[in-house]
Amino acid sequence: MVEITELRILPAFVIARLGSSPDPMDNYRLEIPSAVAARRIVCAETLIVIEDTGEVYPKPLPFHVKFRDAGGNIRPVSPFLEVWALLAGSDELVPLSADLLKEANATPADVRWSVHVGNIKAFRRTGDKGDQILAAVGPFSDHDPKPLLGTASNFLPNKSIPFGSVRYIKPNPQFPQIRMRFTPAAGKVYGPPLGNGQHDGNLADEVYDTTKGHWKGYKDPADATDPVLTLRKTTNPGSVYAGTDLPDGAHRESWGYLDDECDGIVDVELRIKDRSLRAYSRIAAGPPTFAPDSMPVRTVHDELEQAMFGPDLKTEVTPQEIEEVMQIVRRALETVRLMNTGQLNKFSKERGVGMARMDFLDVNRAPAPIVDPAVADSQAIRARHERVLLALESGSLAWFARVLRDYDQVGDLSDDGRKKMPALMRGADSRHLALTRRQVSKVRSAAEFILRTTVKNGEAR
Amino acid sequence: MIDKIKAKNLSAQLLYVGTGNPPTTHPHSAISNAFPGLEMDFRNAWRRILKGLQLHESSNLVVAVDDDADPRLRMLSSGWRLVMIEDTRLMVPVKGPLIVGGPIVDLPDNGFQDPLMPLEWSNALASILSEHAGRTVRCKFENVLDKTLAPVEFDIELRPFFAISTVNGETLKQPVISRDLAPPGELTQSLCSPWQSDYRECACFYWAATRPDYVNVETGPEGESTGHNWMQKDRTPETPKLYLPDDWMDPELVTYLELYRQWEKSLRFVIDGKDEDPVTPPGR
Repeated sequence: MVEITELRILPAFVIARLGSSPDPMDNYRLEIPSAVAARRIVCAETLIVIEDTGEVYPKPLPFHVKFRDAGGNIRPVSPFLEVWALLAGSDELVPLSADLLKEANATPADVRWSVHVGNIKAFRRTGDKGDQILAAVGPFSDHDPKPLLGTASNFLPNKSIPFGSVRYIKPNPQFPQIRMRFTPAAGKVYGPPLGNGQHDGNLADEVYDTTKGHWKGYKDPADATDPVLTLRKTTNPGSVYAGTDLPDGAHRESWGYLDDECDGIVDVELRIKDRSLRAYSRIAAGPPTFAPDSMPVRTVHDELEQAMFGPDLKTEVTPQEIEEVMQIVRRALETVRLMNTGQLNKFSKERGVGMARMDFLDVNRAPAPIVDPAVADSQAIRARHERVLLALESGSLAWFARVLRDYDQVGDLSDDGRKKMPALMRGADSRHLALTRRQVSKVRSAAEFILRTTVKNGEAR
Repeated sequence: MIDKIKAKNLSAQLLYVGTGNPPTTHPHSAISNAFPGLEMDFRNAWRRILKGLQLHESSNLVVAVDDDADPRLRMLSSGWRLVMIEDTRLMVPVKGPLIVGGPIVDLPDNGFQDPLMPLEWSNALASILSEHAGRTVRCKFENVLDKTLAPVEFDIELRPFFAISTVNGETLKQPVISRDLAPPGELTQSLCSPWQSDYRECACFYWAATRPDYVNVETGPEGESTGHNWMQKDRTPETPKLYLPDDWMDPELVTYLELYRQWEKSLRFVIDGKDEDPVTPPGR
């Protein structure tokens, strides 16, 4: 007999990725064949869900990793969420399984799942609670797929937006762990009827009732003709919805379009006798990664890590953190490799360039490219990043560390300030991107450590 | 397969990907320089970090006060913005030249003529969160509608960012973002609607993993790069390597309507910088 004292759902935050194929994406891992080469996509342990029973079995290895099905439809990325347990007297989490439940005098049927997700993009603009599209399922303990049907007060009768589905995977002897799968939606567009008896060909379904809600026809506050407070409360960037740009040059009138993205919370509860153990995790559904062998330079994981451990490294950099610094530089390389830096460096008042235009439009900064155009070409920028990565253990990281932008320097739009790195990218505060403070701290600590140990070893020049 | 993780090893728990999950399911595959973002607008995770207040996801304006908040806070929804927590300033000046080669001067924004800009929450609050999470902090607000009003200060609880649990009698953070910080739908609420618009709307060509910009790149005769715009419709191996700058009016580039109706066919995966084969050959 064991006593389970706590549950956790891991991963604590998963991202599903939209796609209309009925065949979810297989698993793969990313291998790094050499210092500056692209990551190699290699097949990895994949669990296939048996439609009839809800059990899983392993897909035979090896297989060719394909992002589309035979019909050309994109395969949705459908993550599993695992329940882990802490046992009395232990300081280690272990996977909760049917076997462990039995030892704790419980069964998989004592596990209850609940899921709440929402898409409140229209509500964020209109402020009308009737525009909140919400879906809830559970609590449930069976292994049937549970559709997540998003409904809203402002929808037409019996209409909903499918946000995908969840399924409690049935444990079996080969895969006894307690897990759930979240399968996202297809990535369709929804909205109101056109109103003239014609079908709007952009829509998968007409769901929105324009006699109840005002998402169709809504206009983001956009200029001085709007009350200042509503203007300040609008999203930034504003007017980022499907609509018609009005002749005043400032406002966009919404077509009332909605989508099937969502985010929310998965709860799990285990009842043993008179005790109830609970845990939760977060889920979100977004677009596919169209360059799946590349990773972004600043990520949600970087935010979570900083929120968890603070902005500064409190001890000397560890080998793992030096490896993480290499990954940051690699991610920067992977980003610039797919950017036309020569084009994005240019100044123009027209679309098609980057931050130089935004600096001018937002704050009247002098119109000028960010860096000398002679060194902005993609090949040159790529080569510079490759040199840093190839020579990370010499002095090159020290240079990289010196040119990183500090988080509180994002308002420095001097010539030198705009050349700081990461360059040519926008941050969450709308000005030039800074890495998280913890990322910067890691890079600087690693650079100092490498420089110090190189000098110690008499290798410095 | 990992079969045990120390309950206190939150780093390992944050990094855990899960059996059978591709790398793109993990937060390290999701961009966080959200303006407004793709998988989510992570700025929303900070909106409710001060108990009772709802802050704007991308500025320091108080947009609402919760019904159950301290009644004294209710005034803050009428045009007050958070400018300081304890001794940490949340805004910085924007400075630069107005003319090329000119002196460095204040650069007020065109919307509100404000020479200060709010810092993104994640970096601005990093130290505060590290030192004060779960405790009351001194918050200073100023009014953006009436500059003659004196700033006001309140002591407000700084919510923990992560869920809290008790393990063997010890209080520990869990690796999951607190339920109090974002109800369902709030992490994605400020994204484009529909999301497809973002691929046409934004000049976000630096979210390369999710939205590549420059593909099929080769070195030209002068050593310069040549390649295609990822949104360019005609991209065969024979298509001349001429990058078409972003222009939503250009019929050579994928249009809004094509994204709404057939984004899966219009957008192509890029491996090692090169296009996958077209799903439907151009012209058919």
